[in-house]
Amino acid sequence: MPFFGELFVSEIIKKPVLDPKGEELGKVKDIIVVKGEPFPKVSNLILDKKKNIYLISWTDLNIFNKKIISSKIYSESLNEYEFDENDLLIVRDIFDKQIVDANGAKVVRVNDVKLEGYESEAILVAVDVGMRGIMRRLGIERGGEDLMRIFRKHLPYNLISWNYIQPLEPKLTNISLTVPRQMVSELHPADIAEIISQVSHREGATFFKELDVETAAEALSELQPDVQVEIISGMETEKAADIIEEMQPDEAADVLSDLPVDKAKEILEQIEKEEAQDIQELLSHEEDTAGGIMTNVYISYLPETTVQEAIEKFKKDAEEVETVYYIYVIDENEKLVGVISLRDLLLAPFDAKLSDIMKRKIKTVTPETDEQEVAEIVSKYNLVAIPVIDSENYMLGIVTIDDIIDRILPPAAKRKRRKV
Amino acid sequence: MSLLKRIAVFLSIMGPGIITANIDNDASGITTYSVAGAHFGYALLWTLIPTTIALVVIQEMVARMGVVTGKGLSDLIRENYGVKSTFYMMTILFIANFGTTIANFAGWAASMEIIGFSRYIVIPVGALAVWFLVVKGSYRFVEKILLFACLLYFGYVFSGFMSKPAWSKVFYNTFIPEIKWETEYIMLSIAIIGTTITPWMQFYLQSSIAEKGIQKNEYKASKLDVFIGCSITDIVSFFIIVTCATTLFAQGIRINEASEAALALKPLAGKYAFLIFAICLANASILGTIIVPLATSYYICEAMGWERGVNKTFKEAPQFMSIYTFMIVIGSLLILIPGAPLVFLMVLSSVLNGVLLPFVLIYAISLVNNKKLMGDFVNPKSYNIISWSTVVVLIILTAVFLVSIIIPLESIYG
Repeated sequence: MPFFGELFVSEIIKKPVLDPKGEELGKVKDIIVVKGEPFPKVSNLILDKKKNIYLISWTDLNIFNKKIISSKIYSESLNEYEFDENDLLIVRDIFDKQIVDANGAKVVRVNDVKLEGYESEAILVAVDVGMRGIMRRLGIERGGEDLMRIFRKHLPYNLISWNYIQPLEPKLTNISLTVPRQMVSELHPADIAEIISQVSHREGATFFKELDVETAAEALSELQPDVQVEIISGMETEKAADIIEEMQPDEAADVLSDLPVDKAKEILEQIEKEEAQDIQELLSHEEDTAGGIMTNVYISYLPETTVQEAIEKFKKDAEEVETVYYIYVIDENEKLVGVISLRDLLLAPFDAKLSDIMKRKIKTVTPETDEQEVAEIVSKYNLVAIPVIDSENYMLGIVTIDDIIDRILPPAAKRKRRKV
Repeated sequence: MSLLKRIAVFLSIMGPGIITANIDNDASGITTYSVAGAHFGYALLWTLIPTTIALVVIQEMVARMGVVTGKGLSDLIRENYGVKSTFYMMTILFIANFGTTIANFAGWAASMEIIGFSRYIVIPVGALAVWFLVVKGSYRFVEKILLFACLLYFGYVFSGFMSKPAWSKVFYNTFIPEIKWETEYIMLSIAIIGTTITPWMQFYLQSSIAEKGIQKNEYKASKLDVFIGCSITDIVSFFIIVTCATTLFAQGIRINEASEAALALKPLAGKYAFLIFAICLANASILGTIIVPLATSYYICEAMGWERGVNKTFKEAPQFMSIYTFMIVIGSLLILIPGAPLVFLMVLSSVLNGVLLPFVLIYAISLVNNKKLMGDFVNPKSYNIISWSTVVVLIILTAVFLVSIIIPLESIYG
């Protein structure tokens, strides 16, 4: 049992390994870990001596701690080692790589790796992502501690347990997550978008592919247009179509309008006919007008519907519709005749007809209205959504307040991070 | 691909190379070119051709890395060379860029002062405007401002033509090198290269390309972007030298500052040449104060794995916000304090840039030859000869430059 307690890998890198007579076999260059339960365990040390690289097995070690490392064997029985891409090496493959810390949706780097003795093995228990790790690598951890003590502060440990680390690809060369993949879906879509915009585009795309369709759809609409285009263009058309279909039609139209025409067509062909029609209709409007930001999914009933019927229908319809605070009253010719707020509907007697309780004076806009003007009307009359109608009072869709806010104030993840 | 389609592809890729190259002509660059023109006339024009070639060779490699890996240079250095190299490199980069920021604030103050505004007004206003633009402005808005600011550089081209140079002599000196064994002449020719090829712009270019998400199949357009950007930079430098040579050198006026050049132009080339020079200097300086502090804080935090982003609070991203605020606030305050060691800080900055450049170049060239990272996009053998010799020549020149700053040549020879 050569290993007791715990140590950080940076503390033993470049340390000499001695044979039973005290002669130096070489200096520790790297450490190979293999899969183990519950944590990966050290299988070999890689030594380097005068430019030759040797391998020494864990079982051949006698003492292993941060002060001294010694072996049971002599230099004659060491094997030469050639670097192999399939081995997982701590220094080469884990040190300095990026990790997405889902706790707070930020990207951090591995500064050090912590090993611990467990039965007769050395297991990899945690990665250090904090200031201490950087200082330890620089050899100034003590100094840092002393400095902090002057300010009466403690230098915190910032470790992430290895069982939270889930490589996206078999190797850690790419980003890894600090939450099990299933749990990613539970993150807020805006946080997911934030993560994607913080890593390189390719890593972002890898990360995105792991999401389920529903989460992907929500996260996609939070991303900046050029990132959206890149992710969708890099996907198989079928998967892309699934995600687009899951999005609200107005958001889907925004994404498609930024794609190359051929790609957009291909995707539209894969989407269910009804949804595709909705999206196509929205695509025909200028981007910065009411037509360009409206959605054609809203709740509407006939004037002679009773309140009771309306509430029952509402319970079914509301599931698929984003904005439900207004019930629009539309006659047989599909012309907008009135509007009822959800509150008025719920407070009205069951047997009243919608035509009795609806408001007939409605604020509306046309598809050509400039988005700024739409924003002004919505703000002036304190609306949550405003209907878009054509010159014949035929209802085309609604503009909701969140789309207007997005236009005036881009959400955090849509702002570019660097480069300015 | 039809011609139209090709042009469309290029326009969408264009940007990083051109913006990077333009920002390269910041306050200290303009000063160097003005001084070069005023002291030696057209004689130093020929240095611009080798400088442009070296710039294109280096920028092309860095741009290629950005396209292929999708990561910034500081990421790649951290991931391939570990904490120690990264930490020391970032520390030096920080100090060097702090000096650059001060130089740009100084350029801003000087150029506004000769137009007639007090530095005690323009420095706080400028610093506040920069801070506000970066922290509160959206990226699109900032990009528009940057592109507009880049257009302003063409003012130098106009002033070049307005000065009515002797074109035959200008062309002769551009293509036929003339070597004078004078300390100042050698120093200035090295300074021209040193101010054109700086460490931080390699970081900036690679990040902005990675950020733009340019794909491998669009790389040709990106290469063109870099090539055009580098050419524009040196065309601007060319016209600054020409203007100062035609007017100041011919009259025997010697200067040490870019703002002095503008002032001296007034009686010689008229009010408009003076205004162009002053406004262009102000523009270049303020552009530098927008980009340099922000870029520096990003690379450092990215390399060290710290939280970053301009829309974060001090509590969320303490290191990022501290570095950024420190550079803007202390940088601008130092300009306002009488007797602050500005010259020392700027010299220190150019020394540190000189120290850093060989490392950045060697890291860049070994990363670009790393098959694991670059795949089929590693340097071809023949190209490696060109890029290694460029790097070696740059390193030797920088070493000479460093030695001469620390031990002035006069003390050895005279």
